[in-house]
Amino acid sequence: MALLTLSTDPRVDAYAKLLVERCLDVRPGMQVLIRTTPQAAPAVFALERELARKGATPILRIGFVTWPTNPAWAAEAPEELLGELAEIDRFACDHMDARITMDAPENTRDGSDLAPERFQLVKKAENYFYRRSMSSEIPWVSCAYPTEALAQAAGMSLAQFEDVLYGACLIDWDAEGERMRRYADAFDAAEQVRIVGAGTDLTLSLAGRRGEVDKGHTNMPGGEFFYSPLEDSAEGVIEYSEFPSSYQGHEFAGIRLEFHGGSVVEASATKNESTLYDLLDRDEGSRRIGELGIGCNPGLTRPMNHVLFDEKIDGSIHLALGQSYEKVGGKNVSSIHWDIVKDLRNGGRIELDGKTVQENGRWLI
Amino acid sequence: MSSFPCIDCAAVTDPRIEELATLLVERCVAVRPGWQVLVMGHPGARPLLEELCGQIGRRGAYALLRLRLESPPTRAWMLEADEDLVGRFTEIEAHDYDTMDTYIVVEAPENTRGGADVPAAKVAARNAATRPHMKEIFAGTKPWVGLDFPTQGLAQDAGMTLREFEAFYWGAMLLDWEALAERMRVIAARFDAADEVRIVGGGTDLRFSLAGRHGLVDALGANMPGGEVFYSPVEDSAAGVIEYSEYPACYQSHEVAGVRLRFEGGKIVEASADSDEEFLLGLLDADEGARRLGEFGIGCNPGIQNHMRNTLFDEKIEGTVHFAIGQGFGYLGGTNESVVHWDMVKDLRPGGRIELDGEPVQENGRWLF
Repeated sequence: MALLTLSTDPRVDAYAKLLVERCLDVRPGMQVLIRTTPQAAPAVFALERELARKGATPILRIGFVTWPTNPAWAAEAPEELLGELAEIDRFACDHMDARITMDAPENTRDGSDLAPERFQLVKKAENYFYRRSMSSEIPWVSCAYPTEALAQAAGMSLAQFEDVLYGACLIDWDAEGERMRRYADAFDAAEQVRIVGAGTDLTLSLAGRRGEVDKGHTNMPGGEFFYSPLEDSAEGVIEYSEFPSSYQGHEFAGIRLEFHGGSVVEASATKNESTLYDLLDRDEGSRRIGELGIGCNPGLTRPMNHVLFDEKIDGSIHLALGQSYEKVGGKNVSSIHWDIVKDLRNGGRIELDGKTVQENGRWLI
Repeated sequence: MSSFPCIDCAAVTDPRIEELATLLVERCVAVRPGWQVLVMGHPGARPLLEELCGQIGRRGAYALLRLRLESPPTRAWMLEADEDLVGRFTEIEAHDYDTMDTYIVVEAPENTRGGADVPAAKVAARNAATRPHMKEIFAGTKPWVGLDFPTQGLAQDAGMTLREFEAFYWGAMLLDWEALAERMRVIAARFDAADEVRIVGGGTDLRFSLAGRHGLVDALGANMPGGEVFYSPVEDSAAGVIEYSEYPACYQSHEVAGVRLRFEGGKIVEASADSDEEFLLGLLDADEGARRLGEFGIGCNPGIQNHMRNTLFDEKIEGTVHFAIGQGFGYLGGTNESVVHWDMVKDLRPGGRIELDGEPVQENGRWLF
């Protein structure tokens, strides 16, 4: 008997299948935690069906903002409760076998009216959730579902946004993986990376570090390869003049960072500069680079004011301030991981040990 | 120093929602500091759910929000998964139920028949998996409260516009609970002292025993609105016939008209219905206990006068009684066990009567004491 399934968009089913099969490789008996908002209902239902077919069980964590954050509660609860998750939530974090984070805001500013000290405590508590995925103990994927709010933030209609999202996700990931591996091999073999572009001349060392290719596993869309550079190696300047950057509900523009000995020694921004300073002063590791990523997704060509997409723009690179990835040898520890994207398509270039490998966003290798 | 642009613009909350949330948090479940409170419900109840989370936070407890997109909450999964999988409760699910200190569930369905396509066998399998983790809830040792929040779907079922339904809803929720509780205690005292109850009405003459059983007054307890006095009758005592001719019997997205049940020795020996009879008969065969009475309840809420195809309200209509087939209440001396607990409401206002040990105590829905 055929089940009549009412998906508004057939791409939703293909997307759910991709997430469950490729990204998570779900096995029978798994408890797969799905955190999202009611906006993503069609995708949640499609995921539930896919999980059922695999013999797995969904653990639904649907909130008005992404679980475990609950601003209505966090605005009122005593501060001593905010910094650590409730035992029930920690248990779920400890026992989930895989997780899907599907960003689907009704308003991208939801939660941003929490008092800053409360917001920071909530973020600290949330780190417990990320622990097992960041250390690669469980399969995970971060993705998004097309909502009016995300489309609006991207300056697009919902239909346009849907086309971009599915266009960047429903592609031949194995072929993309091979292409990116070729570039990553060149980076693996190099010691020094130099990024040159508008207002930018920055060198980093990758000596002894190996990159990882994101060919559609932990991020959907995927389409980058990334490193944790040597923590004390960054020297020079980078200016993010092309795209705005958003982090934890704040929007920034014109960020300029000067590095010495791996650490930010001077910083400025044309928008939200004081919040930039706050973030840099967040902790010991927040002035150092946790990640260098190179965007390669051919479906992503314009900024969407959403890091999951923007960091994969073909012809861009991004540096993350803060927490690095152990799995690629990173040692920096921080409560922030803020990816900021630099467009290299207009006069930028990447050099490896003095040899130019990318110019104007186009590969020469 | 931070210059974070924090604009403290608390949205205005409907004062009725605040009052209701306070009743739920402070009275119905009496949240204590450090508690883990599961707050479950449909997104349509957002104003109430958020107010609940805030008030729970103010009492120094954790509000763990679990929005439900469908009823049952994992309907899409249940439709596709095989029965064996549906019947297995995972570690995380079990831990949620085992370790929570209380839960509040707010139903705000857009379509009250959203679960109509889930096979009964799967619903039963899921319930059976959940049951072992609900022991303290059933035993009454862990507080909980369930309620509805006005939606178009609920209004439609009630035959009302949303505006009408809201007016009715707040009238049934925000009343003088202390005074009503006092009145219901008087009623309960009469039933507590009696052995045999006889219900007479349209097509109905049913006797059963409450000997040795005590009733519970429902005011600011596990249901909002409350407004009933209820018992678990002696399991083998029911004898006679009851006909639910006034209202359909509603359960699990089904609506069964004209249910007629004949009891002998506490057990249903004959059953029929004017519609969806197959569903009725299927449930009666769900298990050993499904053919016996788990509950006898007397509706007492003056704010509820009309049937709205919603058990939570209907069973509290002043001048009605209801019987649940299936699971009894252990804390009221009930011993019947079943995965079913189906409340069916009988209107006694048109010519009905309740007798206690042969003495009429209610006639046409009006108390004689």
